[in-house]
Amino acid sequence: MRALVLAHALAFALASTAAVTPSRAQQGADPLPAGDGHDLVAVACSQCHYLGTIAKIRDGAPGWRRYVDNMVLRGAQLTKPEIETVVAYLARNLGPGMNLPPAKPVALPDGPGKDLIAERCTLCHNLERVVAVKRERKAWPVIVADMVAQGAPVTTEEAKTIFDYLTANFGD
Amino acid sequence: MKELIKQYLDRGLSRRRLVSGLSAFGLSTVAAKAVAQNLAPLGQGIGSGNAATASTAIRTIEGNGGKLFVEQLKAAGVEYIFFNPSTGDHPIFDALVDVPEIKLIKGVQEGAVVAMADGYARASGRTGVVIVANIGLPNAMTQMVNTWKDQIPLLVAVASVDQDALGRDQWQETDHHELMTEPITKWFWQAQSTEAIAETTRRGLKFASTPPCGPVFLSLPTNTLAQHAKTQIWDGSKFNVPMRIRPDKADVEKAARLLIEAKNPLLSIGDEITWCRADKELLELAELLGAPVAGEMSNLGYWSKPFPTRHPLFIGTLLRTMRFPGKPDVLLNLGNRWGEIAAPGTTLISIRLDPTSLARQAPVDLAMVADLKLAIADLTAAIRSMATASRLADIAEQRAARTRAYSAQMAELREAIGRGLADSTPISMERLGIELEKHLDRDTCYVADVDSGKTMDPLMAFGGDDKQYFGTGPNVLGWGMAAGFGVKLARPDVPVVSVVGDGSFLFSGPQPLWSMARYKAPVTVIVLNNHSYNNERNRIWNGAGRQFEAARDMTCYNGNPDVDFAKTADAFGVEGETVKEAAALADTFARARAAMVEGRPYLLDIHIKREGLGAVSQWYPPYSLAQQRTRKV
Repeated sequence: MRALVLAHALAFALASTAAVTPSRAQQGADPLPAGDGHDLVAVACSQCHYLGTIAKIRDGAPGWRRYVDNMVLRGAQLTKPEIETVVAYLARNLGPGMNLPPAKPVALPDGPGKDLIAERCTLCHNLERVVAVKRERKAWPVIVADMVAQGAPVTTEEAKTIFDYLTANFGD
Repeated sequence: MKELIKQYLDRGLSRRRLVSGLSAFGLSTVAAKAVAQNLAPLGQGIGSGNAATASTAIRTIEGNGGKLFVEQLKAAGVEYIFFNPSTGDHPIFDALVDVPEIKLIKGVQEGAVVAMADGYARASGRTGVVIVANIGLPNAMTQMVNTWKDQIPLLVAVASVDQDALGRDQWQETDHHELMTEPITKWFWQAQSTEAIAETTRRGLKFASTPPCGPVFLSLPTNTLAQHAKTQIWDGSKFNVPMRIRPDKADVEKAARLLIEAKNPLLSIGDEITWCRADKELLELAELLGAPVAGEMSNLGYWSKPFPTRHPLFIGTLLRTMRFPGKPDVLLNLGNRWGEIAAPGTTLISIRLDPTSLARQAPVDLAMVADLKLAIADLTAAIRSMATASRLADIAEQRAARTRAYSAQMAELREAIGRGLADSTPISMERLGIELEKHLDRDTCYVADVDSGKTMDPLMAFGGDDKQYFGTGPNVLGWGMAAGFGVKLARPDVPVVSVVGDGSFLFSGPQPLWSMARYKAPVTVIVLNNHSYNNERNRIWNGAGRQFEAARDMTCYNGNPDVDFAKTADAFGVEGETVKEAAALADTFARARAAMVEGRPYLLDIHIKREGLGAVSQWYPPYSLAQQRTRKV
């Protein structure tokens, strides 16, 4: 029997129990880049959870807003103006292409869309995510649409090129 | 502590040593004496003779062990036995043929049986009584973890192997099986003789219902159930004696003074308020002080919401550091296991029903063990006695004005966020919360077994005159549907809705629907179906490990097969439907309401949007057993 432990993306741990409190090891050094809004993020978000994952995510402003709104519903003590500050900080410092961590080089199969993927998708994440597994063919358009909704800098036409490529090469 | 009490009840310990032992566990002298006093009738009464036998509430009965067990339960006022039968416990069910006062409620899996009894106990405040098969005990124990952690009174009994056969490695025997229950029971015992069954049962009931409550396990060997004996049966009034402890008056006055003089007090509240039925007293105290109240907005670690969540003084979740109202100079923890947060400059007062977790994780400046209803009433009276009504009103108004502004601002913000997420397909949690708030009656008992539902809860109103919330602290899944049935049993005249995730449904299986159908239980079951252990995935990925890096959800996707829960319900004779569009919700709820009026359960399989890290992924590690074959057989 497994007990369902909480958790949405970053907060999920809005209770002061041992099970949901970030461990001392997790808290560690401040992983967030400096900038306007840093202190607010560091204080408000660390009330409930580890900050390390924030530093590893890259999202556009809509994506970050979705996370922050979710946190507020879960109990984060941020007012409306503070939400704007936090989202602006995250989008500015951890938006597409910002402060990217090093990634292992990944060789993509040739084909229309290859360069687009190498250029745009890597603004937010490594390519290992793309090539790691084959996904259902119908899954790729949904995944790409979700990225665009979160703020990936991709036009509708480019999105189609991308998911056609992914479906052809990594569809199952 | 339970070992100490056991020694006392077994007469291996004097009253004085019991009191000193309890004091060593941290109880005040007053509290320790009160416990000793309350244990006295049981510890000193058995076999002591004349006074007992002279009472009309104590009578001698002859019969087999099954009859003695049933007669003792009946005398204790037990109204339901939740069960799944085995051969060895037939003397109990034989006896029940002639005892219509006790109703049998059957479940078809032990976990469901325990969760039904647990839900009944939470909603009624009475002890749930369970009989399951000896060999099915491990099934029962999964749900007993919820009962144990939340300190809910439960008596779980099994008919065990005949005493003459013990140790012979019988086909359903496990050596000393009662020891399995030790970590999750207040007490476990095996009846040593037929004569001892009634006495053992009394002890079990008493231990289960003595705060802090919890499950008790009784092993009744089949020969003791089948053999005859003559023994005493006691009415419940003779051993279910009052256990409500008042706090020390001097401590209460000290707390009252601190709270009056505080510049920035904060109230932390927890489930013991619910168990002690102290919600009205809490509301009066909070309004008298004008102090903000923080409690459980999320459901992990808590099972109830004892303060109106839309009250202007309610500020939501208790966090380690509170940006609002800032660091309190006085933190009053009322019945909250997780509410003792110590900080330099904060005076921590903690009033707890459970002495074992009082001051367990943090140093407490002023600690009291007490019934929360009595303690809060005493505290309120002490505060009123120390200042004029006008001075108290002035203090409260100064404090409350700031809190009202904050809570109103946050409520508006949450509503706006909810509205902004309302139009999605699959349906968002937030939209469902908004719709439920619109369609559920205010007096609904809302039974939740879904961690992903946390973003719904703040968009709904609980506590006070609004919906009553039932959950579990440890979130051992598979509880919600069966517990919803138990809540309905305890509260037949209020609407009951049981909200479970697809994960929870798959853990319990559909078995609770069998009981709902059999007993015509008008419970609305809502399955929040996002085909995932959604929160689990988020938490795992939040660790930023390999699954996060490689975007491979190795564990949490539950789709493929995409279980049709409405079809499952249909197999049990329970009408249900699948809902995929938010626009369909209103009509769906109307049909569920009609089923409730007709007195039958109804199930809604609502497809819900996954949220958070990796939410869009439907990938899982592929493996086909069919492809492993070398023969197509």
